[in-house]
Amino acid sequence: MSYDYLLLTVFLAIAVIFPLIPLALAWLWARTFSPAKPGKDKQASYECGIESTGTAQIQFQSHYYLYALVFLVFDVETVFLLPFADMGFFRIPVAGFLALMFFLLLLLESLVWAWAKGILEWK
Amino acid sequence: MNDTLHLLKLLAPESILLDTSLLILVLGLIPATATKRNLLLCITLLGGLLAGAWLFFVPENANLFHGMVVLDPLTRLVKVAVLVLSLITAVFAVGSNVREHFGEYLALILFSTIGMMLLAGTEDLLMIFIALEMTSIPLYVLTGYLKRSSASAEAALKYFLIGGVSAAFLLFGLSLIYGVTGSTSLHDLGGMSRDAALDPLLLAGVVMAMVGFGFKVAAVPFHLWAPDVYEGAPTSTAALIASGSKVAGFLILAKLLTFGFAAADGNAGWAQMLPGWLPLLAILATASVVVGNLAALSQSNVKRILAYSAIAQSGYMLIGLTAAGKNGVSSVVFYVIVYALTTLGAFGVVSLVEQRRGGSQLHHFQGLHKSAPGLAFCMGVFMISLAGIPPLAGFIGKFYLFASALGSASSNGNLPLLWIIVLAVAFNAVSLYYYLIVLKHIFVIPSSVESAAPEPRSATSTLVGLLALAVFVLGLYPSLLLEPISSAYTSAVKFSIKSGSAMR
Amino acid sequence: MPTEFLLTATFLSAFLGVALILMLPVRFGAAAKWIALLSALTGFGFAIAAFRGYDMSPGAAPIQSVINFPWVEKLGIGFVTGADGISLVMLLLTGIIAITGILFSWNVTQQPRAFFALFLTIIGGVYGVFQSLDLFLLFVFYEIVIIPKYFLISNWGSTNREYGAMKLTIYSVAGSALVLLALLGVYVVNPDVSFDLMRLAYFKFPLGFQLWAFPVMFLGFAILAGIWPFHTWAPTGHVAAPTAVSMLLAGVVMKLGSYSALRVAMVLFPAGLDYWRMPIAILATVGIVWGALVALAQRDLKFVVGYSSINHMGFVLLGLVTLNTIGLSGAVLQMFSHGIIGGLLFAVVGRMIYDRTHTREISLLGKMGLAKAMPFVAFTFTVASVASMGLPGFSGFIAEISILLGAWKAFPVLLIFSALGVVVTVAFTLRALQRSFFPALTGSPELPGADAEHPHDFEPISLPERLGALLLMAATLGIGLFPNILLDPILRSFESPHSIMHRLIQEVAK
Repeated sequence: MSYDYLLLTVFLAIAVIFPLIPLALAWLWARTFSPAKPGKDKQASYECGIESTGTAQIQFQSHYYLYALVFLVFDVETVFLLPFADMGFFRIPVAGFLALMFFLLLLLESLVWAWAKGILEWK
Repeated sequence: MNDTLHLLKLLAPESILLDTSLLILVLGLIPATATKRNLLLCITLLGGLLAGAWLFFVPENANLFHGMVVLDPLTRLVKVAVLVLSLITAVFAVGSNVREHFGEYLALILFSTIGMMLLAGTEDLLMIFIALEMTSIPLYVLTGYLKRSSASAEAALKYFLIGGVSAAFLLFGLSLIYGVTGSTSLHDLGGMSRDAALDPLLLAGVVMAMVGFGFKVAAVPFHLWAPDVYEGAPTSTAALIASGSKVAGFLILAKLLTFGFAAADGNAGWAQMLPGWLPLLAILATASVVVGNLAALSQSNVKRILAYSAIAQSGYMLIGLTAAGKNGVSSVVFYVIVYALTTLGAFGVVSLVEQRRGGSQLHHFQGLHKSAPGLAFCMGVFMISLAGIPPLAGFIGKFYLFASALGSASSNGNLPLLWIIVLAVAFNAVSLYYYLIVLKHIFVIPSSVESAAPEPRSATSTLVGLLALAVFVLGLYPSLLLEPISSAYTSAVKFSIKSGSAMR
Repeated sequence: MPTEFLLTATFLSAFLGVALILMLPVRFGAAAKWIALLSALTGFGFAIAAFRGYDMSPGAAPIQSVINFPWVEKLGIGFVTGADGISLVMLLLTGIIAITGILFSWNVTQQPRAFFALFLTIIGGVYGVFQSLDLFLLFVFYEIVIIPKYFLISNWGSTNREYGAMKLTIYSVAGSALVLLALLGVYVVNPDVSFDLMRLAYFKFPLGFQLWAFPVMFLGFAILAGIWPFHTWAPTGHVAAPTAVSMLLAGVVMKLGSYSALRVAMVLFPAGLDYWRMPIAILATVGIVWGALVALAQRDLKFVVGYSSINHMGFVLLGLVTLNTIGLSGAVLQMFSHGIIGGLLFAVVGRMIYDRTHTREISLLGKMGLAKAMPFVAFTFTVASVASMGLPGFSGFIAEISILLGAWKAFPVLLIFSALGVVVTVAFTLRALQRSFFPALTGSPELPGADAEHPHDFEPISLPERLGALLLMAATLGIGLFPNILLDPILRSFESPHSIMHRLIQEVAK
C-alpha cells in the first residue's frame, strides 16, 4: 500500500492551516481587546492622503478586453517566432521557411483586419 | 516535404475551406455595396464546392497519427453532407437580418464547418475534443450576432455557459478514460476486454463523456439551452446548429460508443439491465422523446417548436444508436441527414416569414397559403416529414431507426428493447399534433393582416423548394441515400481492419 | 392490357389527377372538378377491367396480377401488389365512391383545386391499400390518407370542424402508431428481412409474441373501422366533414381499417386471433347495439347517419371474427354494402338537404314539408333508409344475414344482442326518416327565409346529384338482387385451398 497520497494530503492540510493560524489569532485578539469605534475617516479608502471624492466604482471600459485579446494573439505569435529568429533561421529547410512565412502572412492579415475594423482605435 | 504535402492533400477540403474563410475575412473589409453580400456568398459557395469536389474525386483512404485523422468512405460521405448543409445555411444568411459584419458571419460559419468536418473524420479522444470545441465556439459567437437584440445576447450567453460546462465534463471524462486505459485512440479502446470495462473509473469517464455529447445533440436533461438558442439566434445560425452540428455530432457519438466503448455497453433490456452506456443511452433517448414532444405542445413560437422538435428527434436518433453495429450507425446517419435537410428547409421558411411578417410566432404564419402558396406547401412537406408520415423521408428514417433498435437485442420473439420503442412510437403520434398546429395556422386560419403583393422569389425560397423536393424524393426512393451509406460503411470497415482504425 | 398494370393504373390515375389539378392556374379552378371526375372515371374503369379479368377457373391462384419488384432492398421492402376477390370488390367500391363523391361536390367553389387534389390523394391512397401485398407498402398507402383528411375537414367542413378534424386525425394516427408497433415487431421477429405478406403468412410467430402483437395490430386497424369504445372520432368527424369527405370516410376509409385487419392482422397471427376472438366479438356487438341506441337519441340528422355507420361497422367486425365462410364473406360484402349505403345517406343529408335547408335538426326539417318540396330527395332518402335497415332486395340484407348466420355458428349468445341491434336500427332509421320527411304537418310548411309574400322553393336537384344518387342506388339494388357478382370472387378467396384467407377458417375455427 502506498502512502504517497497520504503524505500529500497531510502536507496540503498543513499548508492550508498554517497561514490561517495567525490570521485567526489576530481576529480573536481584535474581538476581545480592541474597542468597536468605527468612524467615517477610519473606514475611508486610502488615496495617498487626499480625501476621496465620488464612488469607487467606475465603469470598466470594455475596449480593454479587445486590446487584451489582440495582445494575446500577437504575443503567442511572438512566442512562436522566437525559436525561428533565435537559431533556426539558417537551419530550417525551404518548406519550413515557407510554412513560417505563411504563418506570418496569416497574422499580418489578422493585423490588417483588426486595423480596418477599428479595434486599434480607442473608443 | 512529401509527408507535409501528403497531409495537405488528405486534409485539402478543410484547408480549402480555411483559405476561403480567410479570403472572405479580407474581402469583408471592403465598404458595403449592393453586391458585397452576394460576392462574399459566391466565394463561399465556390470554396465549398471545391472542397466537396475534392472529397468526391480524390477518394484516398488514410489513417493518420494513429486515428487522429481517419479518411474512409463513411467519413467522406458525412463530410460532404455537412458541407452541403453549411453552404445552404450560408445562402440563408444572405437574405437574413444579419446586416453588420457579414464577412465575419460567413467566415465563422466556415470555421464551424471545418470543425464539423474534423469531428466527422477523427477517431482519437483528444481530437474529438478539439474538433468539438472548434465547432461550438464559432456557433456561440454566431448565436449572439444580433448585437441589438437582447434575445440574441441571452441565447449566446446561455449557449456558451452550458456549452462550456459540458465541454469541461467531456474533457474530464475523456481524461479519466485515458488515465484508465493509457491511450486516446478509439482503436485501442475498442480492444479493451469486458472485465477491464467494468472499472468504475472508466464507467464514470463514459458517463461524463455522454454528458458532453448529450449537450451537443440536445438530449434531455442537457437540453435547456436549445429553445432559447433556437429562438434568439439569427435564423440561419439556428439552422446550422440544428443541422450541421447534429450530423457531425451523431456520427462521432456513434463511432465512440459503438467502436470505442464497445466493451462497456451493458444491456438496456427491460428485465435485464446491466451497467454500461446502453441503459444510459436508453434513458436519455426516452427522456428526450417524452420531454421534447410534451413541451412542444404548448409553444406559440415556431422556432421554439422546432427546438423542442429537435430535442425529440435527437431522442429518436439516440434510440437508433442503441442498436450499435452496422444497422445502428447506418440508420442514425441516414436519419440525421434526412432530418438536417428537413429542418434546414423549415428554418428557411421561418426565415422568410420573419423577414416579410416581422416575427415567427404562430400568428405570423396565418394566411401563408394565400400569399406564398409554394412556401406553404414546402412547410407542409417539412412538418409532415418531421412527424414521420409516409411517403416522406422522415418516416423511412424513423422506421429504420426503430427497426434497428428493436432488432438488435431480439431473439426468438423476445423483444427486450420494446419498452423504448413503445414510448417512441406513442410520442411520435403525439408530435403530429403540434406539427399540425403549425400547418393549421398556415392553411386553415385566415390572416388578420392585409396580405401584401405576392412575394418575390429569392435564393432562399428556391433552396427551400429544392429541399422539399429532396425530402419527397428520398421518401419515395430512400435507396438513393441508404445504398451509399451502407456501402460506405462496408468499405470503411474493410479499410479499418486493414489500417488499424476502430471500425468493425 | 395485362391485369397487373390495371391494378397499378387505378392509383396512378388518381395521383396523375392530383398532379394535373395542382398545375392548373388559379383562374381555371373550375376545371379542377372535371379533371377529378375524369380521373375517378378512369380509375373506376381500370378497376372494372381488373374485376372482369379475374380468372375464376378452379386451377387459378386466388391472388392474381401480382407485381413484385424491390423498392428499398436494404430493408427488405418491395413494391408488391396483387388482387384477389376481396381486393377487387373493395376496388370497385372505391371507384363508385370516388365518382359519386366528386359528383356530389360539384358545387364546391372555395379553393376547388386544393379540394379535389386532396380528395384524389385520398382515393389514390385507398386504391393502394386494397391492392398492397407488402406490409410496408400497405402502411405507406394507409398513412397517405390521414393528412388530406385533416385539411379537407378543417377547411371545407361545417359543424365544429377544427375540433372534429383534429380529433379524427389524432385518433387515426394513434391507430397507426399501434399498427406501426406491431409491424416493427413482425419485421424484427421473422427470420427473413422481408415484409412480403405471402411469405410472412406462413411463418409461425412465437405464441408469446402473437398474444400481444395481434390485439395491438387489430386494435390499431379497428380504431379506423370504428370499434367501440374508440369510435368517438367518427360521429364528430363525419358531421364536421363536407359531404364528399363524409362519403369517403364512411364509405371507404373506415373499410381500410376492417380490410387491413382482415388481410394483415388476422392472417399473420392465427394463434393470437384464436385467443382474442371473444373480446373482439363482444366489442363488436356492443358497437352494434350502442351505435343503434345512441342514433335513436340524436337530434341532428347527420349524427344519426354517423352513428349508424358505427352500427354497420360493428356488423363487419363481428363477421370478421366468426371465422367461418359465411360470416367472413358476409363481412366483406357488408363492407361493400355499407360503403354504398353510407355514402348515399351522407350524400342525401349533406348535399341534398343541408346545402339547401342549412339545418340538420330533425325537428326543424320536419316543419319544412320536404316530401312535397323535394320529392327526389325524399325518394332517395327512403331508398337509402330501407337499404340501411337491411330490407331484402338491397345489398345490406344479404350481408347482414350472412353475418348473423355466421355469428349463430360461432357466438350464439352474442347473436341475440346483435339481432336486438337490428331491431333498434330499424327504429332509429324509421324515426329519422319519418320525422324529417313525413311528419304529420299542421299548418303550412316553414321554409327557411320564407314568408307569406316570398315563398320560395329550394333550388332544384342538379344533374350531378341525380347521377350520383342513381349510381349509388343502382349499385345497392343491383348487388341486392344479384349478390353473386361479388360473392363469387369473395367466396373464392375463402374457399380456395391455396388461399391465405382460407387458412383462417381451417386453422382456427373449431
